[in-house]
Amino acid sequence: MNRLLSIFLFIVSCQLFLVSCQREEEVDYQPTPYFFDIPMFYPTKLNIPDDNPMTVEGIELGRYLFYDGRMSGRTDPDSMMSCATCHLQSNSFECGIDHPKYTGGTTFGLSGKQTPHYMLPLINLVWNDNGYLWNGLISKENPSPLQQNLEALVWMGIVAPHEMAGDTNRTKALIRSVKGYPELFAKAFGSEDVTVDRMSKAIAQFIRTFVSKDCKFDRYMRGEEQLTESELSGYILFTTEEGADCFHCHGGFGNPLWTTNLYYNNGKDSLFTGEFEDPRDRYHITGNLSDLGAYKAPTLRNIALTAPYMHDGRYKTLDEVIDFYSHYLVWSPNIDPLMHHIARGGVQLTPKEKADLKSFLMTLTDTVFIHNPAFSDPNGP
Amino acid sequence: MRNLFIVMVWVVVSMMWACGGDEPEPEPTDHGKIIVTFHHQVAGELLVIDTMIYTNAAGNHYLITEVQYFISDVIFHQSDGSHFLIDDWEDMHYVDHDLPSTMTWEVFDKIPPGSYDSISFMFGISPEKNISLMFVNPPERDMFWPDVLGGGYHYLKLNGKWLNDGMAQNVPFEFHLGIGQIYSGDTINVNDITGFVHNNFRVTLPGSSFQMAAGDTLHAAVSMNIEHWFTDPHPIDLSTFPFNIMQCQECMRIGCENGKEGVFTILISKSKTQKSNVKINF
Repeated sequence: MNRLLSIFLFIVSCQLFLVSCQREEEVDYQPTPYFFDIPMFYPTKLNIPDDNPMTVEGIELGRYLFYDGRMSGRTDPDSMMSCATCHLQSNSFECGIDHPKYTGGTTFGLSGKQTPHYMLPLINLVWNDNGYLWNGLISKENPSPLQQNLEALVWMGIVAPHEMAGDTNRTKALIRSVKGYPELFAKAFGSEDVTVDRMSKAIAQFIRTFVSKDCKFDRYMRGEEQLTESELSGYILFTTEEGADCFHCHGGFGNPLWTTNLYYNNGKDSLFTGEFEDPRDRYHITGNLSDLGAYKAPTLRNIALTAPYMHDGRYKTLDEVIDFYSHYLVWSPNIDPLMHHIARGGVQLTPKEKADLKSFLMTLTDTVFIHNPAFSDPNGP
Repeated sequence: MRNLFIVMVWVVVSMMWACGGDEPEPEPTDHGKIIVTFHHQVAGELLVIDTMIYTNAAGNHYLITEVQYFISDVIFHQSDGSHFLIDDWEDMHYVDHDLPSTMTWEVFDKIPPGSYDSISFMFGISPEKNISLMFVNPPERDMFWPDVLGGGYHYLKLNGKWLNDGMAQNVPFEFHLGIGQIYSGDTINVNDITGFVHNNFRVTLPGSSFQMAAGDTLHAAVSMNIEHWFTDPHPIDLSTFPFNIMQCQECMRIGCENGKEGVFTILISKSKTQKSNVKINF
């Protein structure tokens, strides 16, 4: 009996020893932590999931994958697609109206299906804590664990018919077969296993490094540069109720992200049912009638580079957008209370005021960002 | 056999050690604490947002979509003239109807036992503390008040819609309070601003006397009675109230005077959550 008990205790001890060794091996490899430099006046809370800390090696891998057309799981030049196929650095990682392939900013997936909404730029997303896409479908509030963060958005890009229209097994197999990738995966994650989960994590890490902080207005805020009279007048219009009243949704001196990342019905339309229903508006996420026709307020950083505008790309120029907010707001029962200028159709800017407002908006263009070599294709242009 | 017995005893003792001690004995305390909860009401009922069911004193039918505000510098006043200011960890608190986490404020400060006559707080933020860019994270960040209009932060954002019967339309309104401006000319032009007005005001809560004993936890349920913003002493007709309240000091003055009376009420209850002055024998 004693002998049996001794054997039992010996086996238990061995198992405990093995478990502790195994854990030690798993945490043995530690990639280099990435030091995130938070610019002055920017939020200190970063949206980085606990299970995907940013590392130098992870970001390097993500950078290669972001620009690799084989992410679509195909090798035919016509069928290759990467994140960077649509998200151009020169256009604030948005498509832009001047995209060489997607004329007018209208994008199509490899299945030939048009992307339902026009793009949002990949910029300063490490501070976005309130959902991705125009309606916030990808959000930590989403009950599906597969639709909660930037990593999920990357995954969606690989498989969605209106994007890469890929197959995860094919993408995995192809990426695994490319010389150099297994080593990059090993450096980033501790083993050469190529999984879509790891691809998504690495690309998300890379995207989180896309920080814009060097537009002219940033330098004005830091006291390094003065605005012109027209730009300053435009800024005052932007930030006053008597003016263009943009700041409640799009930020300002107190919010350098130039968006609240919240959702608003900004008075573009009056009908939202039947043939006018958009199954991808905010209402279809929350179920609240007040969210009918509501979409995310996009950042105004680099807004000059990200035409066409609005979720459906209905406005091709900034002038058209300013005209809309000035004269052509449309009332509906669902219009956001912040659009209180609806009572007179808009903020009623004069031609000079419109020109000043546009001058100010141009100060939000960050040329340092769009030329930052750290964000560029590692294989060269 | 003896060795085995020792091993068994050691295992049992280890297990008892590992499993025990999860619930530490409460520490003796010489102070009380306070937990504040915020409630938003209209006509004595809890606020139902986005629903056109309310009528103000001017006869406007209205709905509320957002209620967001700061209170700061909460003071407990004692009968001998002394007072206790809450400022250990958080001297201002942001409340957002849409964010449940903001609707409860577990105050860090240790409240001295005693008899308190009343509770008061600053609605908004006092001038010396209302500094632009002090909040960099949402949601507080999104309360920023434009620097050209005085800077700092909104004291209040109360957004909604009123029913314009003639047009059969829900018309948006913003009832925003913050720093006002004095304009030299007849037109509202920021180039003509000659001074700023700090519209923050102190609210003394009626019926807020209480006794605090060591070990007490005070539960203070603070209610904002929204209809009073439009009622006393200045009835507000939303059909004629200017839409540009942030650049209308007279409008904000009226709003703030209404806010001083009747908007806020409090209900206090107590519980014992910690043993008080109990000697613990180890």
